[in-house]
Amino acid sequence: MKRAGVVALNTFREAVRDRVLYNLLFFALVMMAASIIAGQISIGIEQTVIVTLGLSAISLIGLLISVFIGVGLVSKEMDKRTLYAVLAKPVRRWEFLLGKFGGLVLTLAVNVTAMAVGLFLALLYVKPALERGDATVLIAVYFIWLKLALVVALALLFSCFTTPLLAILFTAGIYIVGLYVQELRNMPIEVMSRGMTLFTKWLSYLLPNFENFNIMAMAAHSRQVSGALIVQNTLYAAIYSAIVLTAAVVVFSRRNLK
Amino acid sequence: MKTAKTIVLVAVMLLAGFMGVWKLQHALDKQRAALSEDRDEVLLSSPKLMKAVSLEYAPLMADFYWTRVVQFYGNKHVRGDANLEQLWPLLDITTTLDSNLIVAYRFGAIFLSQRAPGGAGRPDLAVRLIERGIKANPDCWRLYEDLGFIYYMDLKDYKKASEAFLEGSKNPKALIWMKVMAAKIAAEGESYETSFFLWNDVYRNTSDPQIKENAKAHLQLLRAREDSRQLDLLGGEYEKRFGHRPRRVSELVDAGMLQAIAVDPLGYPYTFDENGNAALNPKSPLLEKQKFFERFK
Repeated sequence: MKRAGVVALNTFREAVRDRVLYNLLFFALVMMAASIIAGQISIGIEQTVIVTLGLSAISLIGLLISVFIGVGLVSKEMDKRTLYAVLAKPVRRWEFLLGKFGGLVLTLAVNVTAMAVGLFLALLYVKPALERGDATVLIAVYFIWLKLALVVALALLFSCFTTPLLAILFTAGIYIVGLYVQELRNMPIEVMSRGMTLFTKWLSYLLPNFENFNIMAMAAHSRQVSGALIVQNTLYAAIYSAIVLTAAVVVFSRRNLK
Repeated sequence: MKTAKTIVLVAVMLLAGFMGVWKLQHALDKQRAALSEDRDEVLLSSPKLMKAVSLEYAPLMADFYWTRVVQFYGNKHVRGDANLEQLWPLLDITTTLDSNLIVAYRFGAIFLSQRAPGGAGRPDLAVRLIERGIKANPDCWRLYEDLGFIYYMDLKDYKKASEAFLEGSKNPKALIWMKVMAAKIAAEGESYETSFFLWNDVYRNTSDPQIKENAKAHLQLLRAREDSRQLDLLGGEYEKRFGHRPRRVSELVDAGMLQAIAVDPLGYPYTFDENGNAALNPKSPLLEKQKFFERFK
């Protein structure tokens, strides 16, 4: 486990060296522009725009990092042949994978936290003081981070057995399908056979439900979120990520690296 | 020397080229200006489809759509264009994308219900929008106030207006005057006090300059109408005493029935028309506003 931690720390350092955190500058500019423009061109949605735009930007930037860097975590090491040097040391393959996962999730945590600070600064620009309802924005940011961790796990899994391009497509595809899981579950029974209905229902529970983590509308309108939802989402992300990482470890362990 | 010549030639060619592009773009702008009048503001007219393609960013898209509503309404207002047919589809999409965006229901209903050219002149759609808002946000008592306002001001359905105020007053957070409004409208129907109170509430609570200006004009005209009514009453008294209607307001002052010359909210003295009825001064800008609103009644 200590070895996984070392890999994670190095993955984080590598991400910083690769200027991944430069996106924060872009985010800051977007938030500043939104804070100033929103009040000028619309009516009564200054706060809503800041929250929805901020959360969307955090989610989108995080997704790009998760998918593109997540897919490159293993493939880049293989291309550069640095993986062999690492695995020649007393580091097991699962430790390597877990470390890579942990490193990127840590990078995302730093990224998301910095963006959340920017979001709250923008909020303070449009309203005199923060209120209790604004805590929902923090929970929404936390849920985005949970979602991103799950996306990283998926990207890692796909990158273990296919090319980077296909891994990106698979991860993005699963993510988009994961946003429509609820629709899949609620498909009208009358238009489908019983077998098909059962299949779609089964599939809807098998696929990751990314809509679980979406509380953007609640955050925009300062609606309260129950503690149970926070616990359940945390457990969901942890268990699902563990399943995906286990699958990734199994694939990676059996992979012929010669 | 040859190089310098080439540079000048290229520069001249670039300049000529950009000038050509500039002229051409002006011509294109003129062509497109005619098109933009009838341009469809709603590319995707199905709110459900719009929500589906917005992925997880539906609330953000709702904000963009709401901004489009405001811009669309503002542009039409500035151009004096009363064709606001696209207003309902835009509001429909906005409120489907984010059913908790209260501002879209409240201001959207005002844009829809106002008579042209101030609005779309569709109070029926405004009621539909507000009822949808109430369904999605039952705790928001202000939506009941808006519903009552539309029934009272635009549809002149005082029974339903009273019911809306009463329903809203059941919310523990609702202000006490909601119950007073319900009772007053149920008892009196339309009255100066009620109309003044409702327009004043719009005036005080809106941040939109156009809506504020509109509410201010209504308040001024309401006061002028009430002043005229009072002057007509005094004119009746005067007639009883002197056998004819007053020709000037000063005659009421001279008769001791009025302390001073009565002036409208803009400071112009009222007059009496040839029939002896109180009226706005022909020089008062309020007269133009009155004619403007009456034109679309």
